[in-house]
Amino acid sequence: MNRLVSMTVNGEPCELSVALNRTLLDALRNEGSLTGTKKGCDVGDCGACTVIMDGRPVNACLVLAAEAEGAAIETIEGLQPAYDKPHALQQKFMEFGGAQCGFCTPGIIMMAKALLDENPDPSEDEIRFALAGNICRCTGYTKIIDAVRATAEELRRAGTL
Amino acid sequence: MNTHERIDRDLSERDFTVVGKSVKRSDTLEKVTGAARYAGDVALPGMLYAKMKRSNIAHARIKSIDTSKALALQGVKAVLTHQDVPRVLHAGSPHPRSASVTKDQYILDERVRYWGEGVAAVAAVSEEIAERAVALIEVEYDPLPGLFTIEAASDPAAPPIHENGLGQNYVLPPVFVTRGDVDKGFGEADLVIEREYDLGRPTPAYMEPNVCVSQWDGNGKLTMWTSTQSAFMVRGTLAEVLGVPLNKVRVIVDHMGGGFGAKQDLFQNEFLCALLARRTGRPVKMEFSRKETFVGGRSRHPGKIWLKQGFTRDGRIVAREARVTFNSGAYGSHGPGVTNVGTAALTSLYRCENVRLEGRCIYTNSPIAGAFRGYGVVQTYYALDLMMDEAAEKLGFDPAEFKLMNAVREGDMAPSGHPIVGHGLVDCIRRVMEETNWHELRRREKPETVKRRGIGIGCEMHGSSAYPGIKEQGNAIVKMNEDGTVTLITGTAGLGTGAHTALSQIVAEELGVPFEAVSVVQGDTDIVPWDIGAFASHTTYLGGRAAQLAAADVRRQVLEHAAPLLKAEPGDLAIRDGFVVVANGSNQSLRLSEAVGPQRGMPAVQLVGVGTYMPTKSYSFAAHFAEVEVDTETGEVAVLEVVPVHEIGRVIHPIAAAGQIEGGIQQGIGHTLSEDYVIDLTDGRSLNPSFVDYKMPLSMDMPSIRTIIIETAPDPGGPYGAKGVGEDPIIAIGPAIANAIYDAIGVRFHHYPITPEQVLNALKTKANETRQ
Ligand code: FES
Ligand code: FES
Repeated sequence: MNRLVSMTVNGEPCELSVALNRTLLDALRNEGSLTGTKKGCDVGDCGACTVIMDGRPVNACLVLAAEAEGAAIETIEGLQPAYDKPHALQQKFMEFGGAQCGFCTPGIIMMAKALLDENPDPSEDEIRFALAGNICRCTGYTKIIDAVRATAEELRRAGTL
Repeated sequence: MNTHERIDRDLSERDFTVVGKSVKRSDTLEKVTGAARYAGDVALPGMLYAKMKRSNIAHARIKSIDTSKALALQGVKAVLTHQDVPRVLHAGSPHPRSASVTKDQYILDERVRYWGEGVAAVAAVSEEIAERAVALIEVEYDPLPGLFTIEAASDPAAPPIHENGLGQNYVLPPVFVTRGDVDKGFGEADLVIEREYDLGRPTPAYMEPNVCVSQWDGNGKLTMWTSTQSAFMVRGTLAEVLGVPLNKVRVIVDHMGGGFGAKQDLFQNEFLCALLARRTGRPVKMEFSRKETFVGGRSRHPGKIWLKQGFTRDGRIVAREARVTFNSGAYGSHGPGVTNVGTAALTSLYRCENVRLEGRCIYTNSPIAGAFRGYGVVQTYYALDLMMDEAAEKLGFDPAEFKLMNAVREGDMAPSGHPIVGHGLVDCIRRVMEETNWHELRRREKPETVKRRGIGIGCEMHGSSAYPGIKEQGNAIVKMNEDGTVTLITGTAGLGTGAHTALSQIVAEELGVPFEAVSVVQGDTDIVPWDIGAFASHTTYLGGRAAQLAAADVRRQVLEHAAPLLKAEPGDLAIRDGFVVVANGSNQSLRLSEAVGPQRGMPAVQLVGVGTYMPTKSYSFAAHFAEVEVDTETGEVAVLEVVPVHEIGRVIHPIAAAGQIEGGIQQGIGHTLSEDYVIDLTDGRSLNPSFVDYKMPLSMDMPSIRTIIIETAPDPGGPYGAKGVGEDPIIAIGPAIANAIYDAIGVRFHHYPITPEQVLNALKTKANETRQ
């Protein structure tokens, strides 16, 4: 039995016909054709599926699509301000080598965005804490932390201009 | 930029324009925007979903399989058991040029050899229906004795897990390496230390679960999108086992989410997915769950290393004897390679002329051990370096000085039988000591507080390329387009290391064009030249050299073509910044597009260069400093800081190289302190196949890492002197941590992982001993 779920995805209204037990992650990746969000475990342990739901980061594999009825969802695909212009976080992840295999990257960038939205000047410990549920197996985190810190700096500078 | 890596440039024979610079990696834009396509992102019209039925017994014969209920379920399109698939014995790790591959696998066998082995597969219209169908398959087993440990399996009376005629469940005949006269050496020793080291079972735990998608066209050609490090090996094995020619199998890997060595194997899924697609006439996707990625994946080889060394009072090693025994799990996979490489590694690192080594690899009914970053050397150098620390103390030397005294030097014979180039290890140890004020730190007061700090140093060397075990080959095609831009067509896979960027840098450097002028075509076996795969720290070394040779070929053609236009000899020309220039300073130059583009109605010249490279071997070196803090109340060990110093020849892309080092350290910290994939020793069931129960160091656990790269021993075989870096970091960090723990609490462990419980127990034992 499918049901129609309406939500806003990356600013656009979106209606998906999904099974009742479909997770938001599977709905986005399959019915929504938004495959940027990744599945590393499907049980809430890795953060690869992190999206922002009504302003808060969630593991999309732990949310039922039906629960997202009426919600505003942001995914990695919606982060760029223009198709040819990466978001500051994306830019810094490229510059600092924050993505290696890239599988954890969309989730980590969305989690970092949620952090910076709430705390524009996070300390290293606060960044590490915010990313505690996001597994990256490639980078050792050093360059991810650098990239998030540099983004925060740049956004603050841009904001005070 | 506040990245930490620092590069000591000791080579200055020429200036580079692109090589050695952290140019913007060409593959990361797609990754940070979510546009990168991984195999699991492929969706095709009419696609079915496949799932594997896995055994719930570790060792048994299959008496019967009843698939009728599964087939009757609505939405199920096909079910395959061992009766429905070709029975072709094949190697799990299919390196065609390797002397030591073990052909011991069938797609599906009538026997299972480990808990969780695939016994059947289903394709259905949804993943959920496929899962339900899997549960409806009924399998009846005739149990066989489960042999879960090396001891049980190597008992001469134990039944063979594979009928290879070797006895004692050997995967390969024992490996013997001898140099000099060990007995004479021990006769000269003032100190002999003998220990057994016990090694756990870490797994690569790459973030992307194994996944593939198969599609057959009307002409009987298979296209497979899969997450593999060695697309051509997958193509070759699929063709062989399915009985189709190579031009009827196309393997595509756009991006992959990590492999760390393990994704060189085939995991039953590629065959089953392809066969289900052929049977149903529809595309099929088969994606492992995280649990399946643990259960059906590959781990590092657990094992035991018995090591005995003789030392003289003045600090020389006069004899070394070792017996290395690895647990291969249910199949051979990389067992032969790991056993050979890990055992032979003990001939080196610290100089010793008299060496007697034995290496064994044993089948057991446990999870399959395969290739994993560090390939046998993580294990053997852990033992070797720990013993060096112990010997230093017993002989009254500082451990770093002692390692320095004994470090392998230029001209020494490497494990591969080649002479070592340069004094890389010596340079690394010295640099660690300078950088960390080693002697001062060692003199530091050590208060008997609850939390105690300690420092340690660990060393390693590792070969770029798998020579001489495998005769490798890298190939590249470089085309110059009529506007002077360049297309590099490479067989090298992109694991996420930044290899394609490094290769583009090499091509740009060789051709004298800007980095942005080079684009890369990769990841499609129908298009790119054959490549052995991305492993053995050889991608830049081997694939980069092939790309360099191809680019040099194009450069020669360009200069020949431009010479008459510039009224000069080709030998007097060079390409700089996209211009062909006359080198004698006459100021004459020609834009590349003018030199090679169409002229007065004549089509442009076709400029295609081909590069093939078969490397021998070069070694990279590292010394790691680690500072730890041991909580004597909880037994927890926190790594506070790591200072890795790596000698890797010419660095092509500093940030990418540092990223390799930092990621390797993360996995190595895990190996040493927490990661162990465990099975129930009564029935072989895996006990922690999840990210919650298999504990890896994450953002909160990772220390700051101050990466230092030195370029003191470039290899003449690598592009511009570059060597490998991928595997080195994971080898050196383990002993650095274990030695630091000793420095902190005075307890020497002889195993990994070193868990909080063991730390507490050891502290208790120690307290009791001092009280008595
Ligand atoms: S896929 Fe959702 S947390 Fe891992
Ligand atoms: S970049 Fe590979 S898991 Fe993070």
